[in-house]
Amino acid sequence: MTQVIAGQRRRYGRLGDLLVRWSFMLPTIVLLMAVLAYPIFYTLEISFSSFDMSIFGAGEWVGWDNYETVLQDYRFWDSLRVTLIYLVIALPLQVALGFGIAFLINAEWGGRGLIRALFIIPMVVAPVVAGGIWRMILDPLWGIMNYFLGLVGLGPFDWFGDPNLAMATIIIIDTWRWTPFIVLIATAALLALPKDVFEAAKIDGANWWAMLWSVALPLLVPIIAATFVIRWLGAVKLFDIVLASTYGGPGKATSVINLFIYEEAFRSFHFAESAAMVMIVLVLTMVLTGLFLRGSRKLEESF
Amino acid sequence: MKSGYLARGSENWLLRAATVALMATGLTMASASAQDGLGTAEKPIQLRVIANSAFSHTWQSVLVPEFNKVYPNIKVTIDGVPYNEHLAKLMLEATSADPEYDVLVIDDPWTPQLAQLGALVDLKGPKVAPITSAEYDWADFNSAPLASGEWKGVQYSIPVRSNMLLMFYNRAHYKKAGLPEPTPALTWEQYFEQAPKLVQDMNGDGTVDAWAVDTFFVRDQLTPPIWQAILNANGGSLLDGKGVPAFNNEIGVAALEKHKKLLEYAPPGALGHGLQESLQTFRQGAVATMFMWGSVYKATGVDPKASTLTLKELGMQVMPVGSASAGTHRGIWTAGISAKTKQLNASWAFVEWLTSKRGEKINVSLAGSFPARKSTLNAPSEDWMKPVFSTLQESYDVAAKGRMWRIRSPRSDATQQILADEVARALAGQVSPKEALDVAAKRIAKVLK
Repeated sequence: MTQVIAGQRRRYGRLGDLLVRWSFMLPTIVLLMAVLAYPIFYTLEISFSSFDMSIFGAGEWVGWDNYETVLQDYRFWDSLRVTLIYLVIALPLQVALGFGIAFLINAEWGGRGLIRALFIIPMVVAPVVAGGIWRMILDPLWGIMNYFLGLVGLGPFDWFGDPNLAMATIIIIDTWRWTPFIVLIATAALLALPKDVFEAAKIDGANWWAMLWSVALPLLVPIIAATFVIRWLGAVKLFDIVLASTYGGPGKATSVINLFIYEEAFRSFHFAESAAMVMIVLVLTMVLTGLFLRGSRKLEESF
Repeated sequence: MKSGYLARGSENWLLRAATVALMATGLTMASASAQDGLGTAEKPIQLRVIANSAFSHTWQSVLVPEFNKVYPNIKVTIDGVPYNEHLAKLMLEATSADPEYDVLVIDDPWTPQLAQLGALVDLKGPKVAPITSAEYDWADFNSAPLASGEWKGVQYSIPVRSNMLLMFYNRAHYKKAGLPEPTPALTWEQYFEQAPKLVQDMNGDGTVDAWAVDTFFVRDQLTPPIWQAILNANGGSLLDGKGVPAFNNEIGVAALEKHKKLLEYAPPGALGHGLQESLQTFRQGAVATMFMWGSVYKATGVDPKASTLTLKELGMQVMPVGSASAGTHRGIWTAGISAKTKQLNASWAFVEWLTSKRGEKINVSLAGSFPARKSTLNAPSEDWMKPVFSTLQESYDVAAKGRMWRIRSPRSDATQQILADEVARALAGQVSPKEALDVAAKRIAKVLK
């Protein structure tokens, strides 16, 4: 009898515990459903429908038609290719630069705090403002960049007229903006590394390079992988810098996928096709993010 | 007899009194009717207008006070929207159950799109005709600008800020290069013959600091009109009589090659130039010519805060002549009334005043807008207006003759974006002009189907 009562109490206790936990989570769940799940499902609905302009919403069901249209559109593939080029160059560059700079400024010296604080500035500048300012700096006619490069006999460069340079421009602006973020994470990670391991390596006669390559880097790999995933999630959203600096040009040289989707939706009013593109990009991003997370876990286990 | 007289007299008196009373009642009713929907001092009407941010602020500060001198009880708020978001905002407005705006200011190619959605009131229809002043002169409008507010025979909106693509030139550059000043008879061949000489060293320091031309080259919906102006001047057109794309032919390709050739004589980075950049280079005296919307004239030649140029240096005319005619392109801002407005009378009072002979003159004089009425064009009130108005009248005639405007269709925005994409690819050398126009024609045919 006593055991039965104790069992019941345990059950009620567990139930109560469960209720308390869910009651804490409920507001967040409701909020996420409203601001995240509903727009995604609404976009999904539109992607399988025609878009009725008179009600500005989903019209009749058209099955996979919008997806077929999108997959047959060369501009969609071009934009994906442009986005891929940007990601393949910008992400490793930013991660390498970020950790490299962090390692260099990790040494104890006066004014280190100030430099770290200054590093935050590019991150807090609005992307549209950053794009506009860089557009002025790199202007082939009036910009100061060509002026300074001219002093050392370089250029003039047509930053926005040459397709390759235009992509380089986007990568430069994005790297200027986001490398400090990685520097901050990397600096925190470096400070958190166990000092005794470095001291032991020093006693064993390890030089600066050996300490970086054989001690610091293996310890940092999980952080580097996590940073890469975080930065990847930010980079796939690239839109505003392109809009403010190159407008996707010259031609379609910097027309990244998000800019293309925006133009198709809000300039050509192809909302249904745009919704299909959004869903395709969402699935692609989720798959790649899943792969990166898996890779990052494997790296953690290896080191 | 007397009684009869008296009786007749009193009858007359009664008749007169009744007549006076009736007239008084009638006048009161008429007066009440005239004031219906136009607000009172105690209960003014709030009217909201959506317009382009390029001129909304000026309108609010200089035109609304003038309007309020005539209609003091209609409080007008003009909201400005950037060009690229303007149509999307209008479309959302048109489909909203509770729209915010009473008067919609619409760009040239958007009228069919909004009319198709039922977003606009028929301005000559049964709702507006009875409240239109007898003095309102529809026949006074030039046909080309007025047609931009029309769709399928219905007048949905009226020109409030007319614009045409024109050729601006800097006389100092032509003089320095030893070239004659351009005239409206200048052909594209002559233009390209002169262009290399206009790439020159203006300040004598031994380096090139001035170029022949700047205009729209960037991937933008306003870039294809430059190519189209050359196409139209050579007798080509965007669509044939059946509404099928007709620009992917020799004339179209040659026009796009000419547009691309302009880059050879343009300043570095011109491939990324649109309205602001080309305007800047011209106003800074770095280019000899600019193909640009005419409405920038006043700020370019008259306003020292905006430009280094003066009216003495600034010339303006239609774009060079092709095998068929001179070139231009129509870009008219028109004002229409939202079909869902609850303030029809006040909305029409505003649109009617703004587009009336008097309102247009005020708009031209205070806001620098270009007129659409013949009476305004024939009587320029300020010196700077004289050459502008004669060029404008000429460009209206040329545009009307050559149908020099963007595709008129409820899908016009989509077609213009296609042209923007493909013209930009050709200008950037990513595809040949022929391939770009073939792709554009195929895609536009699909959109218009």
